[in-house]
Amino acid sequence: MSQTTASMPGATKEHAPERRPKASRPRLRRRHVTGLIFAAPLIVYLLLFYAYPLAVNVSMSLRRFTRATYVTGEAPFAGADIYKEVLASPQFWPTVEQTAIFVVVSLVFQYTIGLALAVFFYRNFPLSTVLRGLFLVPWLLPIIVSATTWQWMMDADNGILNRFLGLFGVDPIWWLNADNSLWAVIIANIWLGIPFNLVILYSGLQNISKDLYEAAELDGAGPWRRFWSITFPLLRPVTAITLLLGFVYTLKVVDIIWIMTTGTGKSQTLATWAYGMAFGKGTSAVIKYSQASVVGTILLVIALVMGLVYLAVQRREED
Amino acid sequence: MSRATRTWWKTAIGVALTALMLFPLYWMINVSFTQRPAIRRGDLFPRSFTLDNYAVVLHDQLPYLGTSLLIGFGTVLLTLLISAPAAYALSSLFVPGRRLFNFLLIVAQMVPAVVMALGFYTIYVQLGILDTIPGLIVADATIAIPFGVMLFATFMAGIPRELLQAAAVDGASSWATFRRIVLPISRNAAVTVALFAFLWAWSDFIFASTLNREGGRLRPITMGLYDYIGSQNQEWGPLMATAVVASIPTAILLVVAQRYVAAGVTAGAVKD
Amino acid sequence: MRTTPKVRRATGIVFATVVATSLAACGGGSAGSSSSGSASTAVTQIGFWDPYPQYDDSSDWAKYVQACAPSGATIKRTTAPNTDLINNLTTAVREDNAPDVVFLDNPAVPEASASGLLAPLDTVGIAAGDADANLAGPGTVDGKTYGVPIGANTLGLYYNEDILKKAGIDPSAITDWASLNAALEKVTKAGDKGITFAGVPGEEGTFQFLPWFWGAGANLKDIGSSQAVQAGQLVSDWVAKGYAPKSAITDNQSASWDQFLTGKYAFAENGSWFAKAAAAEKFPIKMMPIPSATGGAAPVPTGGEFGVVPVHKDNSAGHYAAAKHVIDCLLGSDKQITTDNMLGYFTANKTTRAQQIAAEPVYAPWTDAINGAQGRTTDLGTDYLTTSAALSKAEQAALNASGDQAKVAEAFKVAAQEAKG
Repeated sequence: MSQTTASMPGATKEHAPERRPKASRPRLRRRHVTGLIFAAPLIVYLLLFYAYPLAVNVSMSLRRFTRATYVTGEAPFAGADIYKEVLASPQFWPTVEQTAIFVVVSLVFQYTIGLALAVFFYRNFPLSTVLRGLFLVPWLLPIIVSATTWQWMMDADNGILNRFLGLFGVDPIWWLNADNSLWAVIIANIWLGIPFNLVILYSGLQNISKDLYEAAELDGAGPWRRFWSITFPLLRPVTAITLLLGFVYTLKVVDIIWIMTTGTGKSQTLATWAYGMAFGKGTSAVIKYSQASVVGTILLVIALVMGLVYLAVQRREED
Repeated sequence: MSRATRTWWKTAIGVALTALMLFPLYWMINVSFTQRPAIRRGDLFPRSFTLDNYAVVLHDQLPYLGTSLLIGFGTVLLTLLISAPAAYALSSLFVPGRRLFNFLLIVAQMVPAVVMALGFYTIYVQLGILDTIPGLIVADATIAIPFGVMLFATFMAGIPRELLQAAAVDGASSWATFRRIVLPISRNAAVTVALFAFLWAWSDFIFASTLNREGGRLRPITMGLYDYIGSQNQEWGPLMATAVVASIPTAILLVVAQRYVAAGVTAGAVKD
Repeated sequence: MRTTPKVRRATGIVFATVVATSLAACGGGSAGSSSSGSASTAVTQIGFWDPYPQYDDSSDWAKYVQACAPSGATIKRTTAPNTDLINNLTTAVREDNAPDVVFLDNPAVPEASASGLLAPLDTVGIAAGDADANLAGPGTVDGKTYGVPIGANTLGLYYNEDILKKAGIDPSAITDWASLNAALEKVTKAGDKGITFAGVPGEEGTFQFLPWFWGAGANLKDIGSSQAVQAGQLVSDWVAKGYAPKSAITDNQSASWDQFLTGKYAFAENGSWFAKAAAAEKFPIKMMPIPSATGGAAPVPTGGEFGVVPVHKDNSAGHYAAAKHVIDCLLGSDKQITTDNMLGYFTANKTTRAQQIAAEPVYAPWTDAINGAQGRTTDLGTDYLTTSAALSKAEQAALNASGDQAKVAEAFKVAAQEAKG
């Protein structure tokens, strides 16, 4: 009987929920259906707007496109040739290294500062709500405006940053030249990423039951001990997702680098390289769609690997 | 140190940290009140003071601001509507292939916006919804939805099993459980997701410039800004003034929304 | 039994995939299919793209454009930055959703025509205009004309009269690089700053570098020559000695003008579009031709857009008729002076230009510069973009090298190889 009802999803749902002590099989099926229905709009979204452009992107990396063939769509198949060219290009490995530095340093500082701030704001004090809200303002400023402001602040000759450092006797630094540009954009990127981390980690902190802290305090644990024994471990799922998403987003960052330095010198990352080639901008005036798609696919692979790491960590959490 | 002194100490440090974080904003306000010749001088205060920039902005940009607000709210609505139920399905209803799903969501967020925008352009031309506000809302929501699902799922997974089982034993259907128990507890997550969805839609440029190029007045503020970026001549005074004017309503929104991220929403629910 | 949920799930996924792929196929199919032999129907909403976002709907320019619509039709004007215009055009032509008229930056015209984005003017029915040869050059590719120059602008050396007077420098004595460098040294010793220019990566930076490049005697066909290195060394030394701001590596022309407006700099290499604004500034600004290495005025590149007509598959006759109407209205020989005065450009024809300059004395110093200006793509055609990118990289490396001669030489050697490959 259970099997016949299960094969007609509509019928199953309209049945009054039967109370069974061991309702494993029919319950599971109803849940599956409900789950699918809850998730259906999302599935459609994913397939339409993610799978399709992704497929187009990969297909572009396998065929030799120029502006003319992009319009007509008749590009010759090149197989793995374009991949070989890109990987053999002298720019490739330095760009990978720069990307790695950019992402890792940004993430470490964004997370740490975000967590420190979240802990700082944890217990309300006068003005704390207002201040916490203000910390999000960098995010609603248009990126062209923030990036240009950072560019001005880092001006080698009369920028405010050098003047500030000058107060401590530090010589003016040419922040935006080819060698230092990576650190300049990292600083701006850290600034940009703090609100994201602060908001998620703060939310996560609020979801930890206060009873645990009270119990620990009664046992005589100090604030440092409470943080490492209670807060940090319980924050692990939120930390994992923050770091993973931070990684994926930082990997894609183009705007702030492009506006500050056009991705020149050491500030070129895989994302800015792909962007320049895809749109013929900066020192890549000729459009190189295929090469841009190759770099884009490489970026996707890197992010995919990180995603798998996240899933493995999540699986270990559940077990 | 008494409790009161300690909290005021915290306020002082908090203000200092916020001031440090918002210094670039101060610089923008500074420039917005400065006349063009003095902008690159790097003065700490607007010595060549002018209100002209704001006059220009208030004359030009208000329709774009209105459009941005509309798109922002539309995106929040659509994102919450789609991501909350989907997250519930993933975290509590044991959809088979849940791991695959999670993985697909992560993959989805790796696609650069530019690649997606070009895909959208083709589809929108066919459907004839290019240069429309609903079209842009759908596109902006698409960025926020995978994030929303992941965040909701993470928070919902933290809901104590006893609560859900209690509801099931009481005979509640999945939908009722979702509406009456899961949603209220996920308030923090909902506010966070809403904040991000709004901010992403608000600051989006790539989708707007690809999908709403010829929208005229009905374009968001990120494109309205570009009126001041001519091919050989950029007007930074009005640009900064636009950014400041655009920040005010949204800053107020943010501060108000932060109040809803309340403490310990799950605490106490299990006891009762 | 136990497979039923799995089967249901699998079916769901397959169904969704089918929906998605069919949508995609529809998308791809429609773009490919063209309605052949379409009857010509008049276009009622004419698409017009230009790169002047600073002129919004309420501006004189917008109204002027609207007035050029044929009866029964309106013009829908959209603006986009120059660097985005050709990409927007590419995606639009691909979906047969292109506008009727586009004002496209001249170095992009050969690329656009070679990629099949533009309709040749004789197909559209627009007669060849009376533009000067040096200005019309970029619009002709392989013997076919694809665009009408809307006008032209070019580069000159603005200077702050007060600062030069204070340092005791006679502007008319600056005729070559040696005298320019001497002036820069004097000015810096007197406490002011030297020269601003745009070294930003990309076409704008190359545009500004060309007067020095050509002024040294270098040729775009060989960007690794010793003359090219000489030009690179010039700008590199300026940064090293502090004559030019370090922000030159990120400044575009507008930013470099902002620097000059602070009143601290003696010289600014910038374009004729600032001539009128310069005359209205608080401190006296004059202009001199950019000196070449050995003496005399350096050749300067032509800036300015071309009126081009994108390719249409559906109702091409109707679209081309609309395009012809608008282009004749805006860019016909009798209308050139009005149009160019609105945009701050010079007309493309010598005779009308002489009239234009006579009416606006502030333009008088620019006469020779614009008469002798050279097109960037005239020699190289579609190869120009690769060369320009390589040259931009070399200039960036030279500026970063800050005087280091070995690095500058290396930069141009690498660039020469890139330009070939």
